[in-house]
Amino acid sequence: MATLTSRLRLSGVSEMLTTSRQRRENFYGYLFLTPWLIGFFGLFIGPGLFSLYLSFTKYDVLSSPIWIGLENYTKMFFEDPLFYTSLGRTFYYAGVGVPLGVVGSMFLAILLNAKLRGLATYRTLFFMPSLVPIVASVVLWKWLLHADFGIINQWLMDLGWSDPPGWFGDRRWAIPSLIMMGLWQGLGGTRMIIFLAGLQGIPESLYEAASIDGASPIHKLRHVTIPLLTPTIFFNMVLGIIGGLQVFTAAFVATEGGPGFATTFYSLHLYRHAFDYWNMGYAASLAWFFAFVIVSLTIWQLRLSRRWVFYYGS
Amino acid sequence: MRNHVSRRSFLQGALAVSAGALAACVAPAAPEGDMADEGAAMEPVHLRWDTFRGIGSGWNEERIETFTEMHSDVTIELRPLAGSGQQDNYAKMYAAQAAGDLGEIIAFDPSHYHFWRAINKDIIMPIDELVAADGTDLGQWFEHFLGLQYYQGQLYGFPSWGWAGFDTLVTNAVHFEEAGLDVPDPVARDVSIDTIHEWAHSFYVEGERFGLNISHNEATVVVLCRLFGSSLINEDGTQCLLLDDPNATEAMRWAYDLGVVDQVLPAPGDIDNAGGALVAGLLTLNWCGSLCVRNFNNQIEDEGVAKASQILFPEREDGRFPSQLRGGTWNLRTDQDHADVGYQFLLHIAGHDGSLDFNLVARNFAMVRPDVVDSLIEDDPIHEWFISSLENGIPAHAPANSRGREYTSAVQQWTDLLLDPNQPVEFEQGLQDLHDNIQAVLDMDPA
Repeated sequence: MATLTSRLRLSGVSEMLTTSRQRRENFYGYLFLTPWLIGFFGLFIGPGLFSLYLSFTKYDVLSSPIWIGLENYTKMFFEDPLFYTSLGRTFYYAGVGVPLGVVGSMFLAILLNAKLRGLATYRTLFFMPSLVPIVASVVLWKWLLHADFGIINQWLMDLGWSDPPGWFGDRRWAIPSLIMMGLWQGLGGTRMIIFLAGLQGIPESLYEAASIDGASPIHKLRHVTIPLLTPTIFFNMVLGIIGGLQVFTAAFVATEGGPGFATTFYSLHLYRHAFDYWNMGYAASLAWFFAFVIVSLTIWQLRLSRRWVFYYGS
Repeated sequence: MRNHVSRRSFLQGALAVSAGALAACVAPAAPEGDMADEGAAMEPVHLRWDTFRGIGSGWNEERIETFTEMHSDVTIELRPLAGSGQQDNYAKMYAAQAAGDLGEIIAFDPSHYHFWRAINKDIIMPIDELVAADGTDLGQWFEHFLGLQYYQGQLYGFPSWGWAGFDTLVTNAVHFEEAGLDVPDPVARDVSIDTIHEWAHSFYVEGERFGLNISHNEATVVVLCRLFGSSLINEDGTQCLLLDDPNATEAMRWAYDLGVVDQVLPAPGDIDNAGGALVAGLLTLNWCGSLCVRNFNNQIEDEGVAKASQILFPEREDGRFPSQLRGGTWNLRTDQDHADVGYQFLLHIAGHDGSLDFNLVARNFAMVRPDVVDSLIEDDPIHEWFISSLENGIPAHAPANSRGREYTSAVQQWTDLLLDPNQPVEFEQGLQDLHDNIQAVLDMDPA
């Protein structure tokens, strides 16, 4: 009994000591977390929840918000003619531009992963467009793609295309023009660097084994490189689709949503309501619906990834 | 027993701290009371001037310096607004007002459609009492530009910039000389609509040059309708006239024929920088305004490629000149303690010297006072070309519901669709869509 009591006492002292150390550790842990937490709650969660509230109000920044229930959402789904069209254009841009960008970056990275002389120079050259400010990029591409005086249409006409596209000035070609501009800027950018890192993580022994088995370079690409790159492809696809759906700057600068709404993407439509028309409540409802769409798409991609993403060694 | 801070309670605490921090960011209550009492001006006075006008030219600093030299007890802080476009700066000013941080000296230009909204939101104060107390002679500004400063019978500011809108065809005279044609007299108003139509064709060289450029913005569409004796919306700003007035319909048909049927006009987005295209000899006639002629003239480097001239539109049957008198403003913010001092500063920047240098130094078109006209003509004779439009022009009509941005956006985008040669629509359908969408904006609740 006495032994048990003394053991209990010792155990209590030990627990107290642990608790005291834990407390101190917790204190410092939380202390160092505090700046981030303040930012997280003050600049993200707080404004986010406030915007959720605003989405149920009529609010123009200068007057107090007026609660209108679901009116903004009803207007969005049933009255706003640009809601569905801007959403459709955004999916078109992301649906075409992102896969092209991801596949293009991957093959560019594969090329730039080859053991060639002057590789660093090539990598630098391909990376450089991503450093060009988007406004400068827009000016450059608007000249290149000018319907009447642009060098690309001159080439196309020299090649025998008598009626080349109007590019930014043509509603059918305005989004493809933006996609082309985005590819020029994005193919060799950070996405390519991530692919290069992924490629360099593939064990050389797998290629050696494939060579011994008589695999051609195409076989190695198909059965070694691409399967082992699927986590990187997946990562780039998720980020690419999120970024692609948020397309704004290029259209804002290059075409201002025109011609004839042809490049009025969802984010631009939202921006106009928020900062041009001062329908801040309606803009908040547009934003929350879009956040829901993006999160849903991301979850769907995560689920789908179980079928095609291969983690080596797992 | 474990009595240390749990994660949940810590997060709750952090949330409370954040909420407190957010609450602390709420704008302070606006000071109560009306204008300053008389004695206030005797104390040191500090005013803040929020503007994007003239920034970088030295004009603002010179105005502050010369004012504070006369009023040693006053300091004025210039707070430049540097949005990527002029409209972005209004967003900044609205946000500043919501945060209780908007300067005492401001500008919400009528021609950017913010003036009336800002008054309705109690951002701009009326200055009639200050005018009366000071005995200011309001005849020192052109009546048409001062008229823009009134709303519901009260005066809210003094003119900053002002012009007659897109009232002219900026002309590259070199192309006329090359074609063996006499360059039209820049002030004669003797070129008919049919001749303009003919020149749009004759100066067009496929792949090399456009004869005529018509942008699809509201400023152009309004004057196009006025050229044909109508307008885009009625004077009250409540009704679109495109379908109701045959003259307005005819105006749009004229542009449709050139752009869509004959395809001799640039497609939407083909020419972003019409001024640059003129200078480069890629365009003969650009539908623009007086400011564009002056800029064109200043930008010309090779007179063998481009030489500046203009064609003013012919007089209408009612005796008025097709134009859209547009202008800016200098205002005082409401709820300030030293409105009388701010008012004196308004007079300083909108007075003779301020207005003249606002034009010559800050490069804004500011022919808003009769007493600067001679000096401006002396500086650049081109200024003389526009006096007739200023004297006999037609004022701008604004949407009654202050939905100016929605209005201009609807005009631009739906005119793009009507005049798109790449995917043409039937004229009747395109015009109906344009009309309906403009009318939909005019029918909205007040902003």
